[in-house]
Amino acid sequence: MPNRNGSVYGLTILSPIINDEKATPSHDLQIRSYLAKLSTREDSPFAIAPATHLARLAVMDDVIYVGMPACEEHLNSKYLVFESNCDGDLDSYLGGLADAIPEHLDAIWKHCVGYPGAANGQAFIDYMKACQLETTFYFAAVNDKSVSETLRALQAKTAVGDFIANHQGADAATLQREFIQFMAQLKSEPVPKPGSMGPHRTIKTGGRNE
Amino acid sequence: MSNINGKVYAMNAITPMKPWKTWILRGFFFLLGHVKPLRQDLVDLSFIEFARWVVLPRKGFPFLGNSQVKENLKYDYLLFFSNFNGTWNQYIDAFSAVLSKGLNLVWRWSEKFPGSVPVTLFKEYIARVQFDTDYYYTAYPHATANDIKSAHIVQSSLDQLAAKAAQCNPQEFADAYLRFMLQVQAHIGETGEAPLAG
Repeated sequence: MPNRNGSVYGLTILSPIINDEKATPSHDLQIRSYLAKLSTREDSPFAIAPATHLARLAVMDDVIYVGMPACEEHLNSKYLVFESNCDGDLDSYLGGLADAIPEHLDAIWKHCVGYPGAANGQAFIDYMKACQLETTFYFAAVNDKSVSETLRALQAKTAVGDFIANHQGADAATLQREFIQFMAQLKSEPVPKPGSMGPHRTIKTGGRNE
Repeated sequence: MSNINGKVYAMNAITPMKPWKTWILRGFFFLLGHVKPLRQDLVDLSFIEFARWVVLPRKGFPFLGNSQVKENLKYDYLLFFSNFNGTWNQYIDAFSAVLSKGLNLVWRWSEKFPGSVPVTLFKEYIARVQFDTDYYYTAYPHATANDIKSAHIVQSSLDQLAAKAAQCNPQEFADAYLRFMLQVQAHIGETGEAPLAG
């Protein structure tokens, strides 16, 4: 199934945005305004809800005209693109979003046609599936690890480097004793929060090719 | 607009295709999905965390009724979403240099695609068909694809060593520790801020 690669699911959603000439600002601008203020760190909605590796939201204004001899054509609606790389099966993932971050989902998707709200979990899942596109080819560099397994491994990678650096030349008995202590301490530490250890978001204004 | 988060760049591109050509492209993607050696260059590039192509038929745009007007299009569309490490220029340069044949097989069915070599025309085309991301989240913004691969190698070796640690004498442990260091020496180290491209 092309939506899945190993244990990772590639979700692609295109939600038509309400086209209301009387709305001020327009619904697509209201989505953009909300997204511009949304945190991308550990208090991001996708960090609060479980199972998202990477996700993006983009307003697609129109299809792109590449010039003659191609035909020029335009969309009747703008679309909200939601692209997510997540763990588990689709129903649990969408259900997890609806349970954990309903206010954010409503604030974003209320500008889309036919959005039923996240309060009714099943209606939300059905709506998202109605907007889902089937992926044709999906690539994942690591396709058999969950978000928490990856965060735990990144934590271990740093800690192991420090342990090795601090125990060069140690005798065998000390090394063994301190390694056992190190492992106990590493296991007792909480898994880093998703989205933590990241830079504070800065809005890029210098063009897309930075 | 927020195409970048930490060490990852979100690229979105949409290109028009004549509907009869999309079936050829679907065939190519089917082969790519089922013949592992064809994907090797993509794996070897090692700076793509996730990527996907979606063939969107002209009648396949989601239609939810209500006030929505149905789309009336002549072209099918190819959507491309990539999550890669490095800058836009590095990515397109590497794609063009390493994957030019594969890229041509993917995009030659799109209208006005100039080919992935020479890279200048290719970049102009990508810039034209790209649209920006409004919100971009990653669970591990300081990690690249290689950091993630390395971390899982370290974790796997560490778990094996930990299983032995309490069950062997100090000398046996020291020998196992040395083998462990040889396994992970190319994979340790911490992640940090993304370097500035110069």
